[in-house]
Amino acid sequence: MVKLVQQFVSCCRAAGLRISTSETLDSLRQLQLIDPTDETQFRTLLSANFAKSRRDQLHFHRLYHLFFHEMCMNLDDVDQAEAWSDMFKKTALILKEEHDHGPVYDAVVDFLAGSPMGLVAEIRRIREESDDQPAQLRFNLGPLASRLNVLMQITAAAEAVLALIRDNYFKVSPATLEEMAAHFNNRLDIARGILLQDPANINTNKKVKASDRHRKDFGEKPFSSFTREEIEEMRDAVDRLVRKLKNIVSRRWAARKRGNLDIKRTLRASAKYNGVPVDIHFHRKALRKSRVVTLCDLSGSVWAAGRFMLNLLYSLQECFDKVSSFVFVDQLTDVTQTFEEHEISEAIRLVMADENIHYHAPTDYGETLRNFKKNHMELLTRKTTLIIVGDARSNYMNPEDTILGQMRDRCRRVIWLNPEPENLWGTGDSEMMTYATHCHEVRACRNVNQLISFIEELV
Amino acid sequence: MAYKNVADAHKRLEKAGYIPSREIATVVFLAQATQKPILVEGPAGTGKTELAKAVARSLDRELIRLQCYEGLDEAKALYEWEYAKQLLYSQMVRDRINDIICATATLTEAVEQIAQQEDAFFSDRFILPRPLLQAITSANPVVLLIDEVDKSDPEFEAFLLEMLSDFQVSIPELGTRRAVQIPFVLLTSNNYRDMSDALKRRCVHLYIDYPDREAEIAIVRLKIPNIEQKLCQALVDAIRKIRTLDLKKSPSISETLDWAKSLIALQIHDLTPEVVSETLNVICKYQMDLEKVRNNLDRIVR
Repeated sequence: MVKLVQQFVSCCRAAGLRISTSETLDSLRQLQLIDPTDETQFRTLLSANFAKSRRDQLHFHRLYHLFFHEMCMNLDDVDQAEAWSDMFKKTALILKEEHDHGPVYDAVVDFLAGSPMGLVAEIRRIREESDDQPAQLRFNLGPLASRLNVLMQITAAAEAVLALIRDNYFKVSPATLEEMAAHFNNRLDIARGILLQDPANINTNKKVKASDRHRKDFGEKPFSSFTREEIEEMRDAVDRLVRKLKNIVSRRWAARKRGNLDIKRTLRASAKYNGVPVDIHFHRKALRKSRVVTLCDLSGSVWAAGRFMLNLLYSLQECFDKVSSFVFVDQLTDVTQTFEEHEISEAIRLVMADENIHYHAPTDYGETLRNFKKNHMELLTRKTTLIIVGDARSNYMNPEDTILGQMRDRCRRVIWLNPEPENLWGTGDSEMMTYATHCHEVRACRNVNQLISFIEELV
Repeated sequence: MAYKNVADAHKRLEKAGYIPSREIATVVFLAQATQKPILVEGPAGTGKTELAKAVARSLDRELIRLQCYEGLDEAKALYEWEYAKQLLYSQMVRDRINDIICATATLTEAVEQIAQQEDAFFSDRFILPRPLLQAITSANPVVLLIDEVDKSDPEFEAFLLEMLSDFQVSIPELGTRRAVQIPFVLLTSNNYRDMSDALKRRCVHLYIDYPDREAEIAIVRLKIPNIEQKLCQALVDAIRKIRTLDLKKSPSISETLDWAKSLIALQIHDLTPEVVSETLNVICKYQMDLEKVRNNLDRIVR
């Protein structure tokens, strides 16, 4: 039993679940307390110890099913099972000796022999690797090519195995031979299955809709169809919002003045009353400084909303202590300093006229995320809220959503604001659904009302 | 009295007025047997807090609850010195100081004498125990519920680690306090933010989802015994269909129960589209959701 759990743990680790030794020990200790033949209890025990968030859970169940259902041998006789597993191991050795196709091939052969670790790890590597090709040649073929390689190795292994069976290498009865062939075919199918199916992440309570209070006549009007007057009015609305934001921030200061006793001040105040501490003073507690990092898409597809988004970015930077603002089209540009040094309309004009931002290039979310990971990852800490504004239209380039996942792991909250209406998400080249799995919150943000309710909830 | 096995845990939770799934019973039993905290996650209103109450009832222990929020600190969660009382006492015993130092010759000696009395002011008398310290120092084993731990700050989470792994807390003036009886700890989270790996490692994890149809019917019948079987089934079916709509806030079990109660109060025996439409306010908390459900009434009730 210990060995079985250990194997399962290494398989889970290979697939990217973080399981510590102490958790393995805990699960082994707990196994003595329950009835391991009751599958619900057994599965619950492992899940409670190994998959400690909802996001991990789905992943866990898939691995559990693979390891304990698909990979196990359906044989009642224990002796026979052992003989079979010996035979599989021998087969694996022969296959490895006969052909030298590299580590991927070996992983596939191991998979056939009953240990899925290597293959699972390889597939995970493919999913997480980011292609580091030069900026001129950007395709998402890198991961695809690696996948193709694994598929070819599976085919190679399949041929080798079936050849062995055809020649009846182990000199067994025709019935056993048939069973063996069926078994190997089954495993080959499973191997192809896990290669071709990407695990779908699930994410709880991620979608947030704006509440339906109507504050402005044009509140429901999309940004893109604003007239000049309305743009001015909209500015006013944003201004008022910003003032409101500042109020709320200062109210938080006021509400949280009580901390520990401030001995120094209490003693000093007591001097007035002949040493009797009539006034008791408390330390003021520092307000938790929220850090905000914003990434804003300024490409053609969100052009109409872009100006307002910059407006919003600017206001955010005014309200919070530490805000880093970035804009991107095909590359990431840091505009924090521009916003700090200039007044709002000037700052926006400067950003819009910046030569380093290629406004006519196609948006590339993957490159932007790669860029961020390389140069700015240290901005994200447990206190950071990451706000991404964009339509997630990646022009069919590699979305690199695993990087967004890594970013999520580093920060407090990831919020995605999408200026597109919800029913368009996930259509065409929109990668919204892919990214949504990594966000704590996804909002449509196409008009003033939605914007207002977002800002209100942010503070 | 500890649970003997999974079946026993199941039975006793049920007796305490909580219908657990087999997963819940297993995890509760394991946590109790290995004295590990449980991290309970799940959508709002699926009975996370209720589980803690049921555990307390079934083990016949006191429930101590700590509600987390942004800005919660040790002074609110663990202990606080009662400064006012300390100062008051120091004023009252002021005259006695002369008695203590009258025999001393030098100032150093006087200070020495007073230092010996220090303990009188940093003792249990002046400490104001908050939920965590209460749970640890209680002579009888308790159930400690740390509610909505995801709302607290990362600093507080780090502070919880010492307590959850060793069941001890350090008070600088008094030294380390070890748990007299290890409390049964449940932490609940609504997944507002991810908890740190270190915290997760110390807990067993439990995800409570909406119950399946049979379980939900059983829960309604348990909490509201006088409901008719037919109405109860129709109600649960309707709720389950409403959950499949894309709502801002899906109705949870507590909403099912509220709805059932209001239907009984209105003396309604059949669930018709009109009835649903009139009583929707109980289930839907947002105007937008309300309209959405109204538009889909024919799908929900047949």
